[in-house]
Amino acid sequence: MEGDDEGTFVVATGYDATYANGDVGDDPRLPPTPRLGKAAVGGGGDLMDVEAYAALYTGRTKVARLLFIGEWCGNEGVQLEAFRLAHDEIKKGEDSHLYREVMTKIGDRLGPRYAFDQVWADAVDRRAEVRKEKLENELNIYKTNLIKESIRMGFNDLADFFYAHGQLGDAFKNYVRTRDYCTTSKHIIHMCLNVILVSIELSQFMHVSNYVSKAEQTPEQLDPVTHSKLRCAAGLAHLETKKYKLAARKFLETGHELGNNYTDVIAPQDVAIYGGLCALASFDRTELKNKVIDNINFRNFLELVPEVRELINDFYASRYASCLEYLENLKPNLLLDIHLHDHVETLYTEIRHKAIIQYTIPFISVDLHTMAGAFKTNVAGLEKELEALITDNQIQARIDSHNKILYARHADQRNATFQRVLQTGVEFERDVRAMLLKESKAPRRRSPSHIHAKGQRKTWDHDPTVAEAAAICHRTSVWAVQRRLPWAAHVKLGARSRESQQGQRLVERERERAEVNINESYESAPSPRRCSLPALTPWWNRGGP
Amino acid sequence: MESVEAVVAHIQGLSGSQEEVAHLHSLLKQSEDALRSQAARLGAFLHQLDPSVHSLGYLFLLEAYSSDPVCREQDGDFLLSILEFINSCSAEQIRLAPEKFISVCKSFKDKVMQLQVPIQGIVPLRTAIRKLQASSEQLTTLHSDYLLLCLLAKCYKAGLSILDDDIFEVDQPRDLFLYCYYGGMVNIGLKRYRKAWECLHNVITAPMATLNAIAVEAYKKYILVSIILNGQVPSFPKYTSSTAQRNLKSHTQPYIDLANCYATGTFSELEGCIQTNLEKFQADSNLGLVKQVLSSLYKGNIQRLTQTYLTLSLQDIANAAQLKTPREAEMHVLQMIQDGEIFATINQKDGMVSFHEDPEQYKTCGMIEHIDSSIQRLMALSKKLGSLDEHMSCDPAYLTRIGKERPRFDFDEFDSVPHKFL
Amino acid sequence: MDLSPIQNAVASGSYATIADACDELMLQVASRGIAYQEDWPFTVHLLGHIFANDLNSARFLWKSIPQGFKESNPELVAAWRIGQCLWTRDYAGVYDAIRGFEWSPEVAGLVTAFSENYTKKMFQLLSSAYSTIGVADVAHFLGMSEDEATNYASQHGWTLDSSSKMLTVKKPKTITEQKLDPSKLQRLTEYVFHLEH
Repeated sequence: MEGDDEGTFVVATGYDATYANGDVGDDPRLPPTPRLGKAAVGGGGDLMDVEAYAALYTGRTKVARLLFIGEWCGNEGVQLEAFRLAHDEIKKGEDSHLYREVMTKIGDRLGPRYAFDQVWADAVDRRAEVRKEKLENELNIYKTNLIKESIRMGFNDLADFFYAHGQLGDAFKNYVRTRDYCTTSKHIIHMCLNVILVSIELSQFMHVSNYVSKAEQTPEQLDPVTHSKLRCAAGLAHLETKKYKLAARKFLETGHELGNNYTDVIAPQDVAIYGGLCALASFDRTELKNKVIDNINFRNFLELVPEVRELINDFYASRYASCLEYLENLKPNLLLDIHLHDHVETLYTEIRHKAIIQYTIPFISVDLHTMAGAFKTNVAGLEKELEALITDNQIQARIDSHNKILYARHADQRNATFQRVLQTGVEFERDVRAMLLKESKAPRRRSPSHIHAKGQRKTWDHDPTVAEAAAICHRTSVWAVQRRLPWAAHVKLGARSRESQQGQRLVERERERAEVNINESYESAPSPRRCSLPALTPWWNRGGP
Repeated sequence: MESVEAVVAHIQGLSGSQEEVAHLHSLLKQSEDALRSQAARLGAFLHQLDPSVHSLGYLFLLEAYSSDPVCREQDGDFLLSILEFINSCSAEQIRLAPEKFISVCKSFKDKVMQLQVPIQGIVPLRTAIRKLQASSEQLTTLHSDYLLLCLLAKCYKAGLSILDDDIFEVDQPRDLFLYCYYGGMVNIGLKRYRKAWECLHNVITAPMATLNAIAVEAYKKYILVSIILNGQVPSFPKYTSSTAQRNLKSHTQPYIDLANCYATGTFSELEGCIQTNLEKFQADSNLGLVKQVLSSLYKGNIQRLTQTYLTLSLQDIANAAQLKTPREAEMHVLQMIQDGEIFATINQKDGMVSFHEDPEQYKTCGMIEHIDSSIQRLMALSKKLGSLDEHMSCDPAYLTRIGKERPRFDFDEFDSVPHKFL
Repeated sequence: MDLSPIQNAVASGSYATIADACDELMLQVASRGIAYQEDWPFTVHLLGHIFANDLNSARFLWKSIPQGFKESNPELVAAWRIGQCLWTRDYAGVYDAIRGFEWSPEVAGLVTAFSENYTKKMFQLLSSAYSTIGVADVAHFLGMSEDEATNYASQHGWTLDSSSKMLTVKKPKTITEQKLDPSKLQRLTEYVFHLEH
């Protein structure tokens, strides 16, 4: 199989690169052959192999992911292991703030070797102070000299410094500032990647999308690695905003050149998992086949996480029980993933729904017992799921709860057409009536062809019933109050204004204003031809009686 | 200033041909003040006139007489004499002075209400409306008064006689507001919710500059009726005035809450919501409707099941619709079958219900008649719409307005547009 | 006050017209300011609405009757009792309400007619709403003893499973008119004309 070759190639290069990077190679506890990806959970509820997992990442994301695992795993052994690895990683860097944070979490649970190292922290802080001053001074000098490239470098160095010390907000600002001093496409891409890196850690995914598109707009042809990095970043942004279909497409477009070049954000295994699950949850069958299963490029990623490859194939081949089993086994680890954590439930529900829908499509009738077996649930539970999907109009079927059979429902076209025609007719009639009524309010007074136009206008202006109306209002209000008619309040209001000395004039002014408004609203009201109304469907064209 | 005697003589002399009556009308207008100043004496003169022959003159005298509160209080036959006049007057003559006629009818209505015998006013006002209208499409000020009397006398059915007319001519917006609001109440009372919804819909979408209490009350009922009918409250159509769109919701918070609770579909939550706002609903005298909302939740739940299941046990129906026992579920299903709301058969032996599709095959003569008649109605309506459109296209005021937006008429374009709706 | 239209309607057995006749006559009489309430046949009026299955109007009429009048007229109260049972869908209660009162000769015919009508309607409802139903329930809904109910049902082709005391319902065949007459063609032409112009 050709895929096998490429797959092993990537794996090999991947791990070569990891070792070559050196920073994990330094760790003597690194297992000689790390098991693939996060698939550290085998049968029998093995706990996550945190160390192998951590080995996939570098930089701040490694720490962030370890801390996340520590927070959520709910198992002290795993938690301590995660914190220990995080501690070791932090010690290599210069973020004393993060160090203090982790140390409060560890407490004294890891023994004297992991006691709080005040000396180290102070040294780091002191160094930072000095370095910051130096960088700022340099930048000021560059600024006075007005050499663009130097200024850019100055901002960039300062941003790098802030990033290393965990002051992400400042890092973000300074990376963005370099933008005005970029002179080549390379600079712009560099700037964008930096901003994206910080923004992902800050969970500012709006910025991620923005800067991905900025980078993609540069005139220069992107090299494959950068291209893949941007795809991943865009995929993450879509994932966080729950646009799973778009996320899936971005991950699927990620080139295998990504390799281990972006481990400070994402591991190639993640591309397979994120992309695979999003695709399952949001693609239809054809898209799944064309863009995932037949995608040679993406196969490279899938080879890294065979479980995901298998479950996608199972799904496509309608082996739902096996597919769901793989998903169940993966779930505990996915819940510990910093990006996927919030989306696991939604994605799983979507995938399950898709599977159920796909299962029912070819059948006229389905035995619920068999189906429940295929979906590893009981009949009652399946009935509930089906009910929700039918109500949602995702499955066209009816459940025979008595005999536990699902029957496909084929709507009678003719009856449906009649029903729709009548419904449309009723709506049309209602809308036209309402419209005619509204339009009828003014035309009589303003129509040129109406003989009494002038007279009508007069009666309107000098409404003889104005005074009287107030009086009647007053009298009826007594009744209304006695009878608890709801508009009593309204009438009382009118009566009160009448009782006041200026009541009469007030009523008149109110009346005038009402008229002005009626005129205005008449003019601003949609004229019949501007209104959109459902057109009458010619039902006899569709085979009437 | 003419004496009353002279006026009466004029009336008696000039009630023949159209020209005479028109002349009389102008004379009467001149002596209006004279008549008013001597209102108390007019009672005696009325007897000298024949309401069916001297309708216009009689109307002027009667109006002056009835607008005097003293006369109204003291004359025991006040109501009867107006009734007599309404019954026998000539429609042609009174339409020359509609405002006088309305005023007389209003005094009649007030008196009836004051005596707390609203039922007494129903027939006379019905006659009065028919005489006053030039066509049944015209809305008069008396329409709302008539409906009010029907409501107060609890003769809801009597109200239908004017509610079934199509109204296309409205003189005053206030008439429309009240007419539609009361119309909504009559239809609610008779459980004609669809019609009621249309009436209330007209109230809340009518143009309004400032919010009025009628619209607020109508909106409350509109929310409830919408839920009973469709299980949800539709959003405002785009031709609703911005005043209504902006303000109605803030004045009807308990009802909005109710609609939101209903949307969750849980019975206990809805009941809780009703309990917290009980007093408000009671104060608005909408409690009856609110209770209907509650029972419509069961119906909505059961109806949803018919879309999903072919057969379902009574126990499951009870669970899904949040009813206590299968027996209760059976009774609900039975009621809904009785009302034609679902198509189902109950199988007591197995405790199952089978749901069916609508058995209507659209093949019967009756159905064809129904479709036919609705097509006829729609054709008539669209013709009307076409003529109104044409009418407006010729309206100078409208054209000037449009002209500002579009500097010059393009004849081709102008010609092609109206056909869309015909 | 001339009540002859109502009396005629009751006497001739055209019960369906009673409600409308009463409504209109009451409005007419009331408009003349006559104190009609003392002599008004409220019981007939109310039963007329119930017979026409217009419970809304029956309820509003009941609400508009003066309290004192209700108290002094047990037959009126008994008539409303029927309406109440119908309103609350207390199917069996309707029969109790009918049997629970010695109706005066004026209304006895009306009540009997309503009762027969109601039984027929209930039977129709049961035929359309049930495929199998317990004998006890049939008796309950039709206001009969179980034996009577079984007899009544088997006359209409229902079959009894005596071990489970269940009746299997036989659905009535509905015959519908499906013929079209040529005048429809004319209408169709009109529609097409309308659409094209």
